[in-house]
Amino acid sequence: MSSGSRAPAEQLRVFADYRGPVREEADVAVVGSGPCGAVAARELATRGLRVVLLEEGPPLSARDIVLDGALSMTRTMREAGLRATRGTVMPTMQAIVLGGGSFVNSAICVRAPDFVLDGWCEVAELSATSRKDLDPHYDAVAALSGVAPTPDEVQGRRNLLFRDGCRALGIPSEPIERNVRGCRGSGECFTGCRSRAKQSADLTWIPDAMRHGARVLTSVQIQELLHERGRVVGVAGRVAEPFTGRLSHPVSVRARAVVLAAGVMATPVLLQRSGNLANRSGQVGENLQFHPGVAATGIYPEPTDPWFGATQGYQSLHFVRDGFKLETLWAPPGVMSVRTPGFGHELKRRLAEIRRSATFDAIASCHRSLGRVRARRRGLDPAITWRLHPDDVDILMRALHVLCRLHFAAGAEKVLPGVHGAPDELFREEEAEIFVRRRFGPGDLVTAGNHVFGTTRMHGDPRRGVVDEHGRCHDVENLFILDTGIFPRSPGVNPMLTGMALARRGAHALADQLGGRSAPEA
Amino acid sequence: MAPSGVVLLALALALVGAALALRGFAYPRPRPPGPGGGPWRHLGRMEVAFVEAAADTLFPPGGEIPPSGSEAGVAAFLDRYLDAVPAGVRRLMRLLLVLVEHGTLLFPAPGWNGFRRFSALSEAQRVAALDGWRRSRLFPRRLVFTSLRALLAMGYLADPRVLRALDLAPRDIEPVVTEVDLLYPPVGAGREAIPWTEADLDRGGHRPPLGPDTPLHPDYRDPTPAAGGGRA
Ligand SMILES: Cc1cc2nc3c(=O)[nH]c(=O)nc-3n(C[C@H](O)[C@H](O)[C@H](O)COP(=O)(O)OP(=O)(O)OC[C@H]3O[C@@H](n4cnc5c(N)ncnc54)[C@H](O)[C@@H]3O)c2cc1C
Ligand code: SF4
Repeated sequence: MSSGSRAPAEQLRVFADYRGPVREEADVAVVGSGPCGAVAARELATRGLRVVLLEEGPPLSARDIVLDGALSMTRTMREAGLRATRGTVMPTMQAIVLGGGSFVNSAICVRAPDFVLDGWCEVAELSATSRKDLDPHYDAVAALSGVAPTPDEVQGRRNLLFRDGCRALGIPSEPIERNVRGCRGSGECFTGCRSRAKQSADLTWIPDAMRHGARVLTSVQIQELLHERGRVVGVAGRVAEPFTGRLSHPVSVRARAVVLAAGVMATPVLLQRSGNLANRSGQVGENLQFHPGVAATGIYPEPTDPWFGATQGYQSLHFVRDGFKLETLWAPPGVMSVRTPGFGHELKRRLAEIRRSATFDAIASCHRSLGRVRARRRGLDPAITWRLHPDDVDILMRALHVLCRLHFAAGAEKVLPGVHGAPDELFREEEAEIFVRRRFGPGDLVTAGNHVFGTTRMHGDPRRGVVDEHGRCHDVENLFILDTGIFPRSPGVNPMLTGMALARRGAHALADQLGGRSAPEA
Repeated sequence: MAPSGVVLLALALALVGAALALRGFAYPRPRPPGPGGGPWRHLGRMEVAFVEAAADTLFPPGGEIPPSGSEAGVAAFLDRYLDAVPAGVRRLMRLLLVLVEHGTLLFPAPGWNGFRRFSALSEAQRVAALDGWRRSRLFPRRLVFTSLRALLAMGYLADPRVLRALDLAPRDIEPVVTEVDLLYPPVGAGREAIPWTEADLDRGGHRPPLGPDTPLHPDYRDPTPAAGGGRA
């Protein structure tokens, strides 16, 4: 996406640059450099506005990438990657690094289907958020991010087995579209792309924002929004040391407007910490939703070399209307091993089978499973409560049943479903019937939820939502929220691209409001 | 929580308290972690003894992957890992170790032969004790097992020998220098530490997908000369 000229280095500040208090002024302060905040910053900058983008995490150079999954998480994820919900206990990860989730994610880019967005418009009383309304924004963010289908040469065997299984069962499937350029199939998206192929925000949107004049302050933890007489006037926080989080010099940015894009967990906490700002609706921190995932590992007669291939290369959208989406999955061995049952020589034998394995996963919309985010007494880490609804467990079990069938259809010798109360290993397709014949509870599943929404949801009615469909706070006209927290409910598919499209639209609405120069040709 | 759950929890907490008070007695001084021989940063005697016992129960020596849990340096890994996690999480993790080490008092293993902590049990009893946590009807007990197992497995699968045996060791990927590599210094350093110049910038061109012949990353190669540089 480079426009030819280099991003000016003096517009970036890293931890080593801070020698004392920091004071800045801008038209817009953008908090959070994940895919949504980065898009917002870049779009605002292209409109001639003076933008300061603030990020708590550091930029990671290729040399900072740690290959071990567990140690990598301690550096790139909040709470060392060990954050979990209360109520139904489920791990959930949020990044703390320049580029946010786009640095650690699998680069899956999917547009929310028409029926999902029509559903949003209906439940949240929106008038301009249909697929037709969002398509120009999807087109623009996809083009700049290099979104394209995963080519066969980097699919690797485990992704193609998914395709084979779908074909055998007559289930439509396709190569996943991802924001990558020149992927080499290292399967390491989770720890960061050493090949610099993944077009995460730190490689694309952020340097481009700088080319358009944005200043980027990394290693800055914003702690509150400054407001006077119903308007925000800036943000304040402190310099935060990378990895340790140790706080030092004060930082303040005075601005005509603020964009909060700190993510679903951090944005509501910042509002709560700022005198419960923008919360006349009482909805800040409410309506928390996830895409809980389940996975099944198939063991095949021949080696699959699972370390090779795009981290997640194939998918099926066939069941999205039924509430789940199917994909392939790979993660660092230490993380994958958590799913391998047993111990002793039995465990070792099963680990040795990883080289003949393929793992497929399903993410489910789980509209009935709700939670909330609250600020703790100290610090900015959220207290997260969430409960997996029994009816949503049934959907997850149905999804698991399909995953097991896919494996057997693709030729697996056996399948490891990872469910308490079911056999550790299934050897025949009929054995997987247990997942649709018996009722399981939330505690029986090994699940995780890294797609998060809803804690500052958009709603046409200011009494029922925090922002309007452009991300503008109903209560504070010059405060915009542009992260995936504004989704009124699940997008049914992976959320990043939809978050970016909404951020682009919101940024232009804010630029119009501030009298930014006209939008450049796409 | 049901009354039995409250009683159980109170007992477990009392147990953990007593164990913490007695920590260190009756445990041998552990070997230093790693070949560098530096001191243990977080794990005490009791925790090292427990982690090694539990790691060897999960990953006994021999079989398809030769190193045992203790040979793979799981305890040293855990010590390093604890160093990198926030203090609150660290406390919880250490509590987890204490809980399973002394949980045998509350949940005795089959063939019970007096009050013995986990690391003092026979191999068969350790297997039975861990299986008790794993198959429990109580979700919190299963959660304890899952968390412990995850920690130990992460440590085991961090060992280059284990990864080589599984053919899962990371490959050597030549650095691709892009615009941002001239912009972002290594974490903690200033811009003067950026090792690249304009001349190093990637000129594009096709880089082939990785494959079975791609050499291993240097940190994961077999250092023994007979291994011939540790190619994949
Ligand atoms: C492991 C993993 C894999 C995933 N895979 C995919 C995928 O393949 N496709 C997909 O569509 N989605 C995926 N997701 C989800 C996707 O990454 C997120 O939905 C997306 O990153 C959300 O973007 P965001 O900008 O709203 O928030 P985030 O990406 O969370 O960014 C928020 C940023 O704000 C910063 N921040 C927070 N608080 C403060 C503060 N107080 N001061 C300063 N900065 C702050 C954070 O450090 C962070 O960088 C994945 C997520 C994870 C964790
Ligand atoms: S699979 Fe590997 S090369 Fe491809 S985008 Fe992910 S990390 Fe980069």
